[in-house]
Amino acid sequence: MITLGDRIALFADGLQAAQGDLVQCTSWDDVWEHAVGLSDETPVVSPIAYEQLQRGELPDDSEPLRSIADRSVGITVATLAVAETGSVLLIEPTPRDRAVSLLTRHLIVAVSEADIVEELADGFRWLAQQPRAAAYATFVTGPSRTADIERSLTIGVQGPCRMTVAVLA
Amino acid sequence: MSASTAPFKTRYRRSLSDPDLKPRLLDFQRSWRESRDAQVRRLEQRTEQSFDELRRDFAAVKDSVLERLDEYIAEFRSNAEAAGATVVELSTAQEAVDYIAGVCKSRGIDLVVKSKSMVSEEIELNHELEQRGITAIETDLGEWLLQLAEERPSHLVMPAIHQKRQYVAEILGEELGREFDPDDIPAMVASARDGLRRHYLSAGAGLTGANALVAETGSIMVVTNEGNMRLATSLPDVHFVTAGIEKLIPTWADAERQLQLLPRSATAQTLSTYTTCITGAQPGKEMHIILLDNGRRAMRDSDVIGDALRCIRCGACANVCPPYQIVGGHTFGHIYTGAIGLVNTTFHHSIEEAAGPQGLCVSCGACQTVCPVDIPLPKQILEVRHRAHESGHAPLWERVALRLWARPRLFHNLMGIAAAGSGLARLVGLVHRDHLRLPLPGRLRWRSVPALPLRSGQTLIKSRPPVNPLSESPSAGRTVDLFAQCLADRLLPSAVDSAARLIEAGGAAVNLPQSQHCCGLPAFDAGDWATARRMARQTIETLEGSEHQIVTPAPSCVISMQEHWPRLFSDDPEWLERAAAVSERVHDLADWLDGPGRLPDACLSNGGSNSWSAHRFCQASNRNDAGARIDQLVERLTGETAKPLEEPDVCCGFGGLTSLAAPEVGAGILERKLACVAESGCDKLITNNPGCVIHLRAGANAGGASHQTLHYADFLAARLPKNL
Ligand code: SF4
Repeated sequence: MITLGDRIALFADGLQAAQGDLVQCTSWDDVWEHAVGLSDETPVVSPIAYEQLQRGELPDDSEPLRSIADRSVGITVATLAVAETGSVLLIEPTPRDRAVSLLTRHLIVAVSEADIVEELADGFRWLAQQPRAAAYATFVTGPSRTADIERSLTIGVQGPCRMTVAVLA
Repeated sequence: MSASTAPFKTRYRRSLSDPDLKPRLLDFQRSWRESRDAQVRRLEQRTEQSFDELRRDFAAVKDSVLERLDEYIAEFRSNAEAAGATVVELSTAQEAVDYIAGVCKSRGIDLVVKSKSMVSEEIELNHELEQRGITAIETDLGEWLLQLAEERPSHLVMPAIHQKRQYVAEILGEELGREFDPDDIPAMVASARDGLRRHYLSAGAGLTGANALVAETGSIMVVTNEGNMRLATSLPDVHFVTAGIEKLIPTWADAERQLQLLPRSATAQTLSTYTTCITGAQPGKEMHIILLDNGRRAMRDSDVIGDALRCIRCGACANVCPPYQIVGGHTFGHIYTGAIGLVNTTFHHSIEEAAGPQGLCVSCGACQTVCPVDIPLPKQILEVRHRAHESGHAPLWERVALRLWARPRLFHNLMGIAAAGSGLARLVGLVHRDHLRLPLPGRLRWRSVPALPLRSGQTLIKSRPPVNPLSESPSAGRTVDLFAQCLADRLLPSAVDSAARLIEAGGAAVNLPQSQHCCGLPAFDAGDWATARRMARQTIETLEGSEHQIVTPAPSCVISMQEHWPRLFSDDPEWLERAAAVSERVHDLADWLDGPGRLPDACLSNGGSNSWSAHRFCQASNRNDAGARIDQLVERLTGETAKPLEEPDVCCGFGGLTSLAAPEVGAGILERKLACVAESGCDKLITNNPGCVIHLRAGANAGGASHQTLHYADFLAARLPKNL
């Protein structure tokens, strides 16, 4: 098992290769401050992150996706991160859980540094042991992208145009 | 009729009429190769396993599932159903379409948003739903652009790779009613966000494919980059999954193995942006998983083709395919494109649909080298070609030519006449640099027609005294049978003679088995196995008369004898044995000169400053044959260093009958090769298969290239001491 520092460094490399950014935070307050600094709009917060964050705007109950389509900044939380690939694992059973990671323009994903595993295989091992989590689980590696027009890489097609992972100490 | 559904010949002509297609796909293939190779190297380092080990491990997983498919389907079904999904197994495209349409009708759904699914392309779902009054909208940007243009994917992973940005600007402009600047790709991409959003919001159902079906939990795994799949499964109330039954894998650990290979092979990414795992229906919603057979069980039960079901649709086989680079996927394939399309179309669609593009494949074998599940695609393509031939899909000229070729006496007489004709042409000044000054029709003008030398290779050998040994190789004092190869004997006789000289320089005597002709490769390649068998038997009879080792300057004949003969005689134990007894004795000249007939290091150094590069016969190189690395042999024997040549293992475009059946493909590939040769700055280009020498020479001659092309045997034998 490689050290925590190595895991964070490896994770940062993988994320960067996928056009994602990384910020290191010491607390949830830190994450919030970072998100607020990005835009004048109030960040929207996924229900799965709300418990820890305790602030921000939640997606609407009845029309969660419509209510936050194209909002500037959203915050969610990852169950774990994978150093090897620079991915975060989002467990989002309901559309309301997913709304933020699907539709906000700049997505912030908080993950605790202790939850950075070394390899993708570790991520899948975790998933295999949590059958309920696999109801709707996504390894996300950077912002949404396409190269469908003349192979020209364009970031931000249908999902977020930017993605920042906030690694919590 | 749209560009992609027209008859094969029309599609072929259309793809050639787009001048931008070739350079664009060349650029794509090269950049893919570079980044994919870097990814694979990193993977090998990290896992401390070779690509071959990794792919064989995962192929073994797929094979174990295919062997017990029904058990895995049952396991998947019971887990998925326990999680609230409906699982249906359907046999045909029609049944699948009917099922989806039926569910839509009963729920009052008239709009379906789709994320990329090759199975839905396979069953032509959009068109079929349309007929039933249901609209299907593609939401993957590339697929959407195709839908707007009424086209099919031309690549498994980059479906719209053939479209130019000017064209994209046009079709988007039409759809969205505003103007687009073709150079502003981000703006066009951004428009998809708005253009598609309203459809997500009003669709009653979302449809996706699945990259894997995980039996242990009844889950689907889908890999995408855009995020549209997550939208299509989050907004509508009904989720359809269309997947072939071959997508089953036992566990999540296997899913991870698949992900080691898939994104790296597909887009050269470590992992795609979104890897989504869904288990069962979401609360308050429906999930229908359609497991489609559509020819897959028949495929599994077919000996040679069964392994093709391992395919994970990465597209790598197209990314290294030289003819694909020339004509693109609308021509090279049917709905499935690239090498795999040449194979599986027979089973999912028909032999008629599969037959058209068969003649484009140059049999270089590059596809299998990168296939992440090690599918023996070259072998399978030859099998499909055979089936196409059997069902009457071979052109008349080809059948006639092969029948003539199959008769040794007639062949020799015809060649004799051609040689005499060439001699006459020489006399009256119609020959320039060993090629005839003949007015060729436009589509053949990229090459010259070689003038046949008067004397055959075998005649040259018989009409000179033996060469004195240069060293005592392990073969010294023995007699070696030389198999000249029919083509080389008449079109490249010097190489045959040079091969004999090099064998003699190692101290062995050369014997020429009487009435030797052709191993049957041209007919085998064309799918005409009856004729190939006839030729093979004649060769076996010719060569089984002695117990000598057999050497040939043509590696293609070695492959033919060792790989194709067992297939030709698989139902004939007697001939199978006789064939094996001969092929066991056969050596490629390059192997011989490093092995039993080994010549010492630097024995052919002439102190000169030759500047040469080596093109390696692709088929041998892609099989990883040691003898294919002729640059290393020549470096060892001459003590000189080869000038680096880019893409030394990529086909030169000869491809047996391909350069005749599809001359533009042969020409296009040759152009790529000759550009690399020019880049290398060499004076001499050496190569190892006679067919390649003839093709490369004729092309260089027509194009006025300054380098000289020769068989390495000629290059080496010219340096044998003169007094010998
Ligand atoms: S045949 Fe192999 S290389 Fe071709 S798409 Fe399938 S998995 Fe990829």
